[in-house]
Amino acid sequence: MSDDEDKVWPTGLTLKEAEEVHSYLIDGTRVFGAIALLAHLLVAASTPWLG
Amino acid sequence: MLGYREFTLRKLASIGPRYLPFADVATKDVPLSRLLRLSLFQVTVGMALVLLVGTLNRVMIVELDVPASLVAIMLALPLVFAPFRTLIGFRSDTHASALGWRRIPYIWKGTLYQFGGFAVMPFALLVLSGYGEAVDAPLWIGYGSAAIAFLLVGAGVHIVQTVGLALATDLVPQEDQPKVVGLMYVMLLVGMVGSALVFGALLETYSPGRLIQVIQGAAVVTVALNLFAMWKQEARDRTRAQRMETELTQSFQAAWRDLVKTPGMVPLLVAIGLGTFGFGMADVLLEPYGGQALGFSVAETTKLTALLATGTLIGFGIASKRLASGGSPTGMARTGAAIGIPGFAAIILSSMGGGVVMFLAGTLATGLGAGLFGHATLTATMRAAQSDRIGLALGAWGAVQATCAGIGVALAGILRDVMLAFSSETGLASYAPYNIVFLIEILFLLLAIVAITKLRFSLSRQGDIAKTRDISSVEVS
Repeated sequence: MSDDEDKVWPTGLTLKEAEEVHSYLIDGTRVFGAIALLAHLLVAASTPWLG
Repeated sequence: MLGYREFTLRKLASIGPRYLPFADVATKDVPLSRLLRLSLFQVTVGMALVLLVGTLNRVMIVELDVPASLVAIMLALPLVFAPFRTLIGFRSDTHASALGWRRIPYIWKGTLYQFGGFAVMPFALLVLSGYGEAVDAPLWIGYGSAAIAFLLVGAGVHIVQTVGLALATDLVPQEDQPKVVGLMYVMLLVGMVGSALVFGALLETYSPGRLIQVIQGAAVVTVALNLFAMWKQEARDRTRAQRMETELTQSFQAAWRDLVKTPGMVPLLVAIGLGTFGFGMADVLLEPYGGQALGFSVAETTKLTALLATGTLIGFGIASKRLASGGSPTGMARTGAAIGIPGFAAIILSSMGGGVVMFLAGTLATGLGAGLFGHATLTATMRAAQSDRIGLALGAWGAVQATCAGIGVALAGILRDVMLAFSSETGLASYAPYNIVFLIEILFLLLAIVAITKLRFSLSRQGDIAKTRDISSVEVS
């Protein structure tokens, strides 16, 4: 692995750019996860499926 | 083995850019198809507005038996975020990104919030209304989760609209901006009318399952349309990315002071507030007024809204054409407000013996006036913005516009209810409370005209100085 910041990898992105794209993915996963958790809790409150 | 790897990488690299969400070059001329695609974000904004103000308003009160006052508070929650549009716009102006992006990250985040809010909303509403076992659940769960859902959708709408408009302004040269503004407004209207029809048809026979399907369907459509809208719109820019990294960013306070110091900006915002408030109060009152004062049936009052929308569309069309061929936005805004005044006067007179024709003409005229006013003031804001502070200026426009429209709608409803209760005691005619609200609207439109006239006056005095110093200012002509 090279540490050259300006190297453009075959994806067409530099390391920093790829990290930024990745950060959007991570953020999205976190938000979706939180939303899904909240939605499940609410559904469990109205129609409990665990006893 | 190595040869194979080289081959795959080269293949990947060659197909890569086509499937990546950014344009590699910023093109000078943006084709209409691309602008049309971008304007899809306005469809999702319109859809969210209709779902909140129209559909859910009815469903929560009629089908879910939630107290009307609680519904009103929940639906007003997104308004809390409206002033933050200024901050959001500014943040997108000064966003530092390795990709050189300024707008797309915010549109994406806004879309996430919009989606998240819609995804949780049906369950939150069901818990709020005490559906199933939720009767025994503590009250705060329903209140809290519904509030979170509405706040998320509201925040998402504010972010997407502010930053989306800023991106549209970035993309087109100044002389084409009126066309873009027209397109954005038309798409907002299309989104609102279309989704109102679809939601109405889908919720004809209500069931909790159907409610979940409709709202979550709206969530999926939102993500799909917004993704399609922002795909490859903003160019990747390495030189800009490097500049972003090193550049010292101005503080929000300093940027705000600069914006306020821009000649004509404050009076313009005041005029936008007054005019939007004046036109906005009519939206919710025309239908019940037609029913109570002129005896229209439900189907006929729905056509009334269509007539109002037609007038607005004509207004957008005229404004786009006139402003693109060099008309003055402030003059056009004044014309719009001036057309609204006889419009409201005709609506008032129709209940005093003027008849149905006068009412319809008045409705069309207020629609036309609102279209001209809305288009012209947004164009004026775009033109007044510095090129590196477009987000901030459009954020200020959105903050004023959304706040005043929201307060107008809420106040109109409250005023009407209070005066209806009052008139049943004193035995006034049923249309009297409406006419008082319409009179207030005329008053606000008059104030808006005064504000615009003052603005034009002060600008024409400053115009000469601005020309010599090359200060950007609201266009005078």
